[in-house]
Amino acid sequence: MKKILIRVVAAFGCLTSITTMSGCATVQPWEKQNLAKPEMTFEGDKLDTGYTEHIYSSKEAASGGSGVGGGGCGCN
Amino acid sequence: MKPASSIKSTKVIGAALTAAAMFLPSAKPAFADAAPERGIVAFKYLSYRDSQPDVDRININAYSVRAMTPIAGKWAIDVTGVLDSVTGASPHYYSFFDTVSGASKLKADTRKALDLSVTRYFPTGSLTAGTSYSEESDYISRSISLQGSVASPSKNTTVTLGGSVTTDTITPNNIELVDRKKIYSALLGVTQVMSKNDIVQVNLSRSVGEGYYTDPYRPIDNRPRHRNYTTVMTKWNHYFESTEGASRLAYRYYADTFGIRSHTFSAEYVQPLPNDFKLMPSVRLYSQTAADFYVPVDPLYAPEPPEVNFDGYYTLDQRLSAFGAVTLGLKVSKKFADEWLVDVRYDHCMQRDHWAISGKGDSGLAPFNMDFIQVGLSKEF
Amino acid sequence: MIIRNRKIIRGFLLTMMLCVGASSMALAVEPGDKAPGFELPGQQGNVTLAEAAGSVVYVDFWASWCGPCRQSFPWMNQLQEKYRASGLKIIAVNVDAKSEDAKKFLAQNPAGFTVAFDPKGVTPSSYGVKGMPTSFLVGRDGKVIFRHLGFNAADKDKIENDIKAALEASK
Repeated sequence: MKKILIRVVAAFGCLTSITTMSGCATVQPWEKQNLAKPEMTFEGDKLDTGYTEHIYSSKEAASGGSGVGGGGCGCN
Repeated sequence: MKPASSIKSTKVIGAALTAAAMFLPSAKPAFADAAPERGIVAFKYLSYRDSQPDVDRININAYSVRAMTPIAGKWAIDVTGVLDSVTGASPHYYSFFDTVSGASKLKADTRKALDLSVTRYFPTGSLTAGTSYSEESDYISRSISLQGSVASPSKNTTVTLGGSVTTDTITPNNIELVDRKKIYSALLGVTQVMSKNDIVQVNLSRSVGEGYYTDPYRPIDNRPRHRNYTTVMTKWNHYFESTEGASRLAYRYYADTFGIRSHTFSAEYVQPLPNDFKLMPSVRLYSQTAADFYVPVDPLYAPEPPEVNFDGYYTLDQRLSAFGAVTLGLKVSKKFADEWLVDVRYDHCMQRDHWAISGKGDSGLAPFNMDFIQVGLSKEF
Repeated sequence: MIIRNRKIIRGFLLTMMLCVGASSMALAVEPGDKAPGFELPGQQGNVTLAEAAGSVVYVDFWASWCGPCRQSFPWMNQLQEKYRASGLKIIAVNVDAKSEDAKKFLAQNPAGFTVAFDPKGVTPSSYGVKGMPTSFLVGRDGKVIFRHLGFNAADKDKIENDIKAALEASK
């Protein structure tokens, strides 16, 4: 368990530092035309995501990852 | 044999389709510090069916409605309600020897769920409080959550922190039992603008659960009362100036104390077309290892159950076996005048034991397919 | 393994701090500062801040893809109409990389005030704009009175009151 956690933290650290390092090439507020498009956000179609994640979490062992909370599941 | 067992197995799936990851306040996009400009009312219908060769299918019809409105430019209220009903027989291999009695106790195979969240927006971030409730004849789930986001002055970096508590009450229709399950979850996320065409998100989440995890409708099932899991989710959206389309890639690593590890990779591409059409093909690849206590099918006994050591934990649930899955999907949407939007999505998912890349699959399991169609209608105002 | 991970995390935190530090160092025009001048192409000839000297100028940075900006247009039209006689001049600086996008937007959302085009983003940069839209109120003395980030219904009255006060104070 501890090993997993370490691996996870390491992966997270790596990814975020890569992310932030290159993030230093700052994108200005007036350059966010493309980022402002709905398909570039991470939220998407909420009802669609709801159904889809629901189906997978009840047919597969894994679940979660994109948020916290939500009801529990009698699935597995 | 079929009718009695099929109704009960149906319940398993019904329970399986409880709220789960349904209405999580997901880590927000780059502009988490601004209240939405418009409200939205949306309706979505889902038709789901799954199948195994020569086995009856299960059908699920679900209806969901969502209403979200900004208030005074600083608040947003978001409400979602879902109603779903399950019909048909379970396709599951193991349902053949379901010997439990008590099918007559079954109430309607429907689930009702309600989710409510309130968000307060600040100049440099936002705070969301949410609650959700889900109910079916044998399962009630209640959850509360709190999530906060803070953006850097450049608004190019957003850090999200969230937590939730979920309490489930399980009252199986087939046995005299009332039990609970309590799950605490926490999430840490970073969203980073990489360039004017790239945005990346990394979410680390951890969940600690205790309570009743056993499947009451499976006669041979005994699972630990603890289940903790950790996930790392990475997402990358890229905008192509040449096509004016966007690719959306995501990878999730999952590990839990049942001994299951899984990898999920998904790719979507959104292409805007003339006349306000949008086309979104998608592919999803999934693979998991088996739970430590999963007992594989024994070809010598099949379709009778394999030999099980009843001293420890054991399950024959194929969802805890090693397998892989591939989904191909296509979504089409069209925007009409006055911000009306219509969308249709179709997904075909195939689960196969030999697609388990991280472990040996259970070759005694039959292939399993899922088809689902979603039809949505929404309007912004 | 653990040591290496700690290093990674420390490195990550450090870079993050540097990033945040660097980005917040970008100079922003504050109330009391002299408003940076500009000369930009407009819908009819060039637009300069200098030629508006003596007026109270509401400089608004907007983009065609920004939702709140769209909402602010009818309001700015009213505002210009209402306070034109008192000496208010609105200059809306468009920051779209492609000015055609802005022109399409203007066809749908007509502007009853001055519009200027800055596809290179030189002006928002000199004003240290932090988000879309951002507006600056420049007094008759050429100094910035206030800066406002974002736009929603709740902001309207506050901005209008500040404009009214500025118009009256410097009569």
